[in-house]
Amino acid sequence: MIRARLALLVSLPVALGAQTGGFSFDDAQRFLRANCQACHQGTSPAGGFALRDIATADTMRTRPERWNKLALRVRHGEMPPKAAAAPPAAERERFLEWADSALRAAVCSAGATPGRTPVRRLNRDEYAATVRDLLDLQTDLTSFLPADGAGGEGFDNAGETLFLTPLLAEKYLDAAKFALDAAFKEFKPRARILVARPGDGVTAEQAAHAILSAFLPRAFRGPVHEADIAEYMSLFRSAQKQGLEFESAVQYTLRAVLVSPRFLFLAERMDEYALASRLSYFLWGSMPDELLFDIASMGKLHDPQVVRALVPRMLRREQSLDFVKRFVDQWLRTRQLETDKAPDAKLFPAWTTDAEIQSDIRLQPALFFHEILKRDLSLLDLIDSSQTVLTRKLAKHFGEPLQVTGADQQPRWLDLPKGSTRGGLLGMPAVLAVGSYPYRTSPVLRGAWILEAMLGTPPPPPPADVPALEKQASADAPKTVREMLTQHRANPACASCHSRIDPLGFALENYDFIGRWRDQDNGKAIDNRGELPDGTIVEGPQSLKNALLERKDQFVRNLTSRMLGYALGRGLTAQDSCAVDQIVSGLKENDYRAQKLIELIISSAPFQYQAPQGAKK
Amino acid sequence: VSTRRTGISRRTLLRGAGVGLGLPWLEAIAQSPAQRNPVRMAMLYMPNGVNTAHWYPKGEGRDFELSTTLEPLAEFKNQILVLSNLWNAGAKGGDGHYCKESAILTCATIKKTPGVDIGNATSLDQAAAQRVGDRTPLPSIELGVAPVAVGVDLAVGYTRVYGSHISWANASTPLPRELNPRVAYQRLYRAGAGQSSDTAKLDTLLLDRVLGDAKRLRGEIGAEDGKRLDEYLSVMRSLEQRVQRSASGERRNWKARVALLPENAPTEQPASHEEHCQLMLDLIATAFQSDTTRIATFMFGNAVSNVSFRFLEGVTMGHHDTSHHGKAEDKLRQYQIINRWHVEQYARLLRKLGSMKEGDSTVLDNSMILFGSALSDGDSHSPHKLPIVVGGGGGGRVDTGQHRRYTEDTPLANLYVSLLDAFGTPVERFADSTGPLAGVLRG
Repeated sequence: MIRARLALLVSLPVALGAQTGGFSFDDAQRFLRANCQACHQGTSPAGGFALRDIATADTMRTRPERWNKLALRVRHGEMPPKAAAAPPAAERERFLEWADSALRAAVCSAGATPGRTPVRRLNRDEYAATVRDLLDLQTDLTSFLPADGAGGEGFDNAGETLFLTPLLAEKYLDAAKFALDAAFKEFKPRARILVARPGDGVTAEQAAHAILSAFLPRAFRGPVHEADIAEYMSLFRSAQKQGLEFESAVQYTLRAVLVSPRFLFLAERMDEYALASRLSYFLWGSMPDELLFDIASMGKLHDPQVVRALVPRMLRREQSLDFVKRFVDQWLRTRQLETDKAPDAKLFPAWTTDAEIQSDIRLQPALFFHEILKRDLSLLDLIDSSQTVLTRKLAKHFGEPLQVTGADQQPRWLDLPKGSTRGGLLGMPAVLAVGSYPYRTSPVLRGAWILEAMLGTPPPPPPADVPALEKQASADAPKTVREMLTQHRANPACASCHSRIDPLGFALENYDFIGRWRDQDNGKAIDNRGELPDGTIVEGPQSLKNALLERKDQFVRNLTSRMLGYALGRGLTAQDSCAVDQIVSGLKENDYRAQKLIELIISSAPFQYQAPQGAKK
Repeated sequence: VSTRRTGISRRTLLRGAGVGLGLPWLEAIAQSPAQRNPVRMAMLYMPNGVNTAHWYPKGEGRDFELSTTLEPLAEFKNQILVLSNLWNAGAKGGDGHYCKESAILTCATIKKTPGVDIGNATSLDQAAAQRVGDRTPLPSIELGVAPVAVGVDLAVGYTRVYGSHISWANASTPLPRELNPRVAYQRLYRAGAGQSSDTAKLDTLLLDRVLGDAKRLRGEIGAEDGKRLDEYLSVMRSLEQRVQRSASGERRNWKARVALLPENAPTEQPASHEEHCQLMLDLIATAFQSDTTRIATFMFGNAVSNVSFRFLEGVTMGHHDTSHHGKAEDKLRQYQIINRWHVEQYARLLRKLGSMKEGDSTVLDNSMILFGSALSDGDSHSPHKLPIVVGGGGGGRVDTGQHRRYTEDTPLANLYVSLLDAFGTPVERFADSTGPLAGVLRG
């Protein structure tokens, strides 16, 4: 059944072929023979891995896991090992680029298939938002629970890293009690829960039943059977037997509901209601509202027309900003501004003394992305735009003549003056700070940040035996960061990556460690020029953005992967990359419109379906 | 063989045979060790390694000289054991930080993964807690100051979850840490205060109900997707047991050795990194003194922590930045100042424990406080010659007052075999151990 529907839904991806950029399967074999064969051959190959096992093009389809592992180890600089000679960087790059696309082509020959999304618990933010919406409560429960780590595509909603521990179990019990105590004391939440009371011919038993019949389907995010209600009724009765009054007994019973796995976990079976939950946890980070429940009950959530109408409506709701904040904060790593990357208090006191400027800086990228989504603008605006989100204080912080109308401190969406360098994410202090040390800029960190966050190609970690920048202390030692980096790149082991990293960062040197514009650093004029490995000269922010726009496909593909991973709450597999391909080509046909990205993700096979039990990952 | 150890093995036998709690003679066992001072064990983890030139003491055996970094421990010279040349063989290879720092208490080789098949092993503290944790209101506490690190380290392909956890309940379950001093204190207080039998009864009924939901859900879900529900089932069951114990006769034999008072709860928002660390370390002292738990771990920061130490005279940068010194003098100097600050915090805890009297001894005499890092030189991410100190007498079992220098690359796990022995939870082997670590325990 699923297969049949998929066949209709999924068209074959554009064939990428086993040859990309002039690099063929045979070239790959030559690369492997030259760099790996010495160890990976014979009767006991190193690591039990022999090149002969992957000697034919067919093995890309039959043994993709081998190929994936190989590519990953080369990418992370683990192979060839330190002791062996490293392949020339350009060749390594070409091999990796080829491996990526050839593997994708091999895996996608059968079309996009859904993967398996295992059952997962709500993460801390989702839990707090769900309790808030379920109980109509304004109290924020976030601080009750420990923060969650991240897995998969780098987000804290990835099922693989949402563990359940004794401490968390205790906290769930405490938080449920706290939330219900608060809810029973407030008028609105109380009225919403207590839909019936004993008296006037209504027994306590009947009233409790009515309350649970209304509460359980909302808490469990789908229809419940009479038998389920009966189970909780018996808990209610036990409570009364223990001497609890009606309201206390109801409160106690609801506390169990909030600790039940049916509340705490998102189902893995993809029925209509589960799809409604997936949708609302994607775009709101909370439970579905009544409209979504209704659409689910009509079985309309698979309908692309319905999805198209739903997306703008869901994005208009205030909760969608929670989604954008969480996504952007983790995608861009700006969440680190709360910890390691907090600007130095001595050099930038306003960060600690002025809560407004801190929050303006922190929120700007998310507010910007949110506007792009709501206004359905181009995703390429993230690279460069003629408009941005600003507050009065932020404009002043920039040290540029930007006019923000109005006297208040509200963020505004406004046109940037011609020639402004503040368009796109790269003009934002939050982004510029996360690519700096807390006390000075770093072209290396900014360059690596661009490669990772914007292009999805993080450089491997530096090899351990390479001297760091300041090691060469001598009389003629270079003085500036640029001079040091130039010397660094003279070493071929460093040059292979730093020739890719550094020029990107140099182009942003006009921004200080917290994103303020500067023409000089320590009395020296800023040199914002660099040369990319392909010979492109980048000079200053605008030309960097132009260079990134040249790579828009790579940027859009990376953004799509990250957002699909977020939407699914798990890491992507080789199979998912076929869905990513389809979404990317769909975006291309639609001028990279932002809402299209959301629509296409929701309509994608991995989002809509679940592979049958036992299907391989 | 001490009677204490016999008591535990009988108890373990009991549990293995599936005999329920609450047998009358079990109370007798529970009572007798209460006369004696319990042994406590803690691990304080310092990220990013050390400036090796200033760490290792001069001389060996009892006649040794503390290094500049270890100098703050001078007053405890006879109550510490400095151990050199240990390592975790499982952490060689892999990346610079995660594979070492996450395995400091497990001595395992962690799985390289962005999350889906996360894999480490049961850590030292949990190996002990799982055997005797039910003797105290809380089996163990895990404390920290930095929230779990965000994201996946895409450059090396490890989820940062690894670098944020040293306590692992099993291969796939890292234990989250309490970061809020006030909340952590309240948890200690409430655990010690226990529950009335009415509340315990209600909690048990509630947990029975949700366990029922979990079992049903589990039945509908295939093996590969049900892992998380299995976790739920086991965690809720253990919570239920703890609730029942807290109101049972057995529990009434536990008494706080020093009462905790709710009004002593510390602040929720420490003003500085230093105050935050100190408040968390004070909590370990409080928990040990009151006997709310006998096992604790504390992380001064996550792996790769780059907390700014500019609050220290002479330091201008973040922790991780200084560790990548590239042999530059200025960075090495700053690195050492930061290392020494950590040792000072450690010494402060030892002092506090030493001031807590227990009969003729002190809580420090009855504790084993492990301090160290999973790297030696942070610049080269070296897993050799780990900087490791044990402080406290372990109830008289630990042969303190020495600097022991072992054959290079002696398993760190050997130390854990010795510590588990002194703690009263002996094991044949721990990870890649080859036996107890010579010279740690008294004959």
